[in-house]
Amino acid sequence: MSLNIYGQNLDSRLLIGSALYPSPQVMKQAILASGSQVVTLSLKRQNPAEQAGQQIWHYLQEVVTEVNGHLLPNTAGCKTAKEAVTLAKLSREIFQTNWLKLEVIGDDYNLQPDPIELLHAAEELIKDGFKVLPYCTDDLVLCQRLYDLGCEVIMPWASPIGTGKGLMNPYNLETIRLRLPDATLILDAGIGKPSDACLAMEMGYDGILLNSAVALADNPVLMAKAFGQALQAGEQGYVAGVMQERQTAHPSTPTLDTPFWHQNS
Amino acid sequence: MNIHINGKAYPLGNETHISVSSALTLHFIEPQQSTFAVALNGDFVGKTDYDTTMVKNGDSLDVLQPIQGG
Repeated sequence: MSLNIYGQNLDSRLLIGSALYPSPQVMKQAILASGSQVVTLSLKRQNPAEQAGQQIWHYLQEVVTEVNGHLLPNTAGCKTAKEAVTLAKLSREIFQTNWLKLEVIGDDYNLQPDPIELLHAAEELIKDGFKVLPYCTDDLVLCQRLYDLGCEVIMPWASPIGTGKGLMNPYNLETIRLRLPDATLILDAGIGKPSDACLAMEMGYDGILLNSAVALADNPVLMAKAFGQALQAGEQGYVAGVMQERQTAHPSTPTLDTPFWHQNS
Repeated sequence: MNIHINGKAYPLGNETHISVSSALTLHFIEPQQSTFAVALNGDFVGKTDYDTTMVKNGDSLDVLQPIQGG
């Protein structure tokens, strides 16, 4: 069972961010421990003469090569479709990939994606040949519109970026899965615990994208491994088929000919 | 004329315009050795257009490099 991203099959269903780790060495170890084959990264204004950007770029290339993986540039920090489109083109030139985690933020407080600007940006980028992975809210109609535009992968949030609050609205997420059975659905942002990721996979989500939950753990490398296992458990649980929930208790042990008790009643 | 590179003002004397290539060479050490991309006034400029795209007085050039991201 593999994750399909625009026709590319990947063994791991976990996509992982490269930010916030205590050190580049821990980042590398955590990514390797997670088993992920997709690593997100970004761009920022920086003077090339300072060499700092060059060093981190070489390090990220090394990690991605080692896991035989893919880079997934994001458009973090963009607030309009125009900004996102420009940043996407800059990213494509540097990273030599059409894959793009499209992020257009509409509110500074909860970093909620702007659905209108997101749709405008997605439409323009798809026309320009990008393989867009939009980060969006858990709004069913927005997800449908993005899918109709040509986004084969949709990435609704679990909760706001970096909060670790987990799945705020499981009903919305389940409904998106139900209504978009053919889309590749990746839950992005707000994941805090491995059990959050497991829950999403049990719903039938195709993958999880996270960063803070691993990078800010006391032991990022161990947490990365835990997430890898949680995704596998959730996926297998979904495939195996979860039992129907019941309102009343049913004894697990057969009651016929139970010894000793109730014989005289 | 004055231009801005990554938000910082750079006076360029009596020039009326210079190419993106020249602007980069003026302020960055061996840019050909680095990984970066450029936007002029918020629009992407491809590497193949650095010599033919002109920067004028008041223009803003953004030079971006890879960083970690989520």
